[in-house]
This record gives sequence, C-alpha cells and structure tokens, in this order.
Amino acid sequence: MSNEHYLIVSYFVVGLVSLCLGIAVYRVLRTPFAAIAEAATGRLRSRVLTRALGIFMTLAAALGFLSVSYTEKGCMSYEAVVKNRDYLVQVNQQQLQRTADWTVAAVFLWCVVVLICLLALRSAQADRHDKT
Amino acid sequence: MSPNSITFLAVLVLSILIMVLIDRLLRPALRGLLEQVVALPAATEFYLRAFAIVVVFVALAAALGTHSDLKDGARFMEYVWAIAARLQEAFQNLFAVLLVYVGLSTVLLATLRRRQ
Repeated sequence: MSNEHYLIVSYFVVGLVSLCLGIAVYRVLRTPFAAIAEAATGRLRSRVLTRALGIFMTLAAALGFLSVSYTEKGCMSYEAVVKNRDYLVQVNQQQLQRTADWTVAAVFLWCVVVLICLLALRSAQADRHDKT
Repeated sequence: MSPNSITFLAVLVLSILIMVLIDRLLRPALRGLLEQVVALPAATEFYLRAFAIVVVFVALAAALGTHSDLKDGARFMEYVWAIAARLQEAFQNLFAVLLVYVGLSTVLLATLRRRQ
C-alpha cells in the first residue's frame, strides 16, 4: 500500500473510529442520564437533554479528530506529509488521542449538568416537603 | 515488529493494568459515597460510568501519545526509558483527571449534603 493510499484510508477509518467512540460513550451514559433528567425535569425536557448529550459527545469526538492538522497548519507541503509513513501513523495516533481528551472533557462537563439536575431535584423535593 | 510498536503495546498494556487497578480500588468506596450523597441509583450509576470512561480514555490517550525515536537494535534499557517517559505522561494525565473528579465529588458532597 502506498503512503498516499494509506493516508486516504487511515484518515476516514480513524474519523469513523473517533465518531464511534463518541457514540459509544453516549450509549454508556444514556440510560442513567435519561433517568436522572426525567426525575429532575420531566419527560419532555429529559428527552431534549438526552439528545443534547448524544450530540455533545459525538461533536466532542469529532472535534478531537478534526483538531489535528497533517500539514501543521500549512507549514508542511502535501508531498512532505505523504513521504513519511511514520509521520502518518503518528498523526493517526494523535487524532485518537485528541478524541479521547475531548471526550473526557465532555464527560466532566456532563457530570456538572447532572449535578445541576440533582440540585433541581432536591429543591423540588424540599418544596414538596414544605407544602405537606 | 518495530521498536515503536513494542513501546506502544507495552505502554497500552501497562496503562490499562494500572487504570483497572485504580478503578477496582476506588469503585467500592466511591459507590458507597455516591449512594449516600445522591440518593438516586441512576445518578450513582452515571457517576460510576463516567469515572470508568474517564479512566479508560486516559489510558487510551496515554498509549496513543506514545511515539519514541527508538532505532532498530535498541538496547533493553532504551525501551525501559521510552516506556517510563510515556508512563510518566499517563500518570500526569491520570493525576489531573482524578483531581477534577475529586473536585467534582467535593462539590457534589457539599451542595447535596447542605440541602439534606
């Protein structure tokens, strides 16, 4: 396989893997998150929040993948990029690494969203308790 | 197998082993704490899953960041140094992630306890 062929195949494969990682994280977190959101905000809003979680995780993974530049932001020519197979492999690893980094950041952000949901739930429970 | 592939695989295996160990050590205590504080099984499950994802992705990122300049015929200690340098990065990332998670748990504990 020539380096150019490798570049084309690996770019799309790694892109797909990155997206799959984002979707996998969403699927792992979806069930407990939907239950929390439903308890805190009701069924309709919980559906919106759960969809937002999915979009956010997929976007974070895609952002990580896209944030790596082959040409180092225009400093390298296409020929120089294609010449070195080791460099191409290194960039693929970097793309997956950034995907992992961005996904971790996104997971932490959604942990904060869950915290806010829990606070809202507690407030509602306290209000109900005061009324009775 | 090239020296880079050997380093990559070694760092991947070691990172995964260390992260699994940390997850196993912290999970029971974390579950107990979360169950007590959040009092909602789904929230406990969410935070535990988030913790597992974070730990796995940190291990993955550490292994993927592996790129050493080892030449063919490198000596044993050169491999060890290359792996140690990558593991240092992995621990650094893990430290940062655990710090964020501890911060988050503290906020959770402080705000929800006060409301109880």
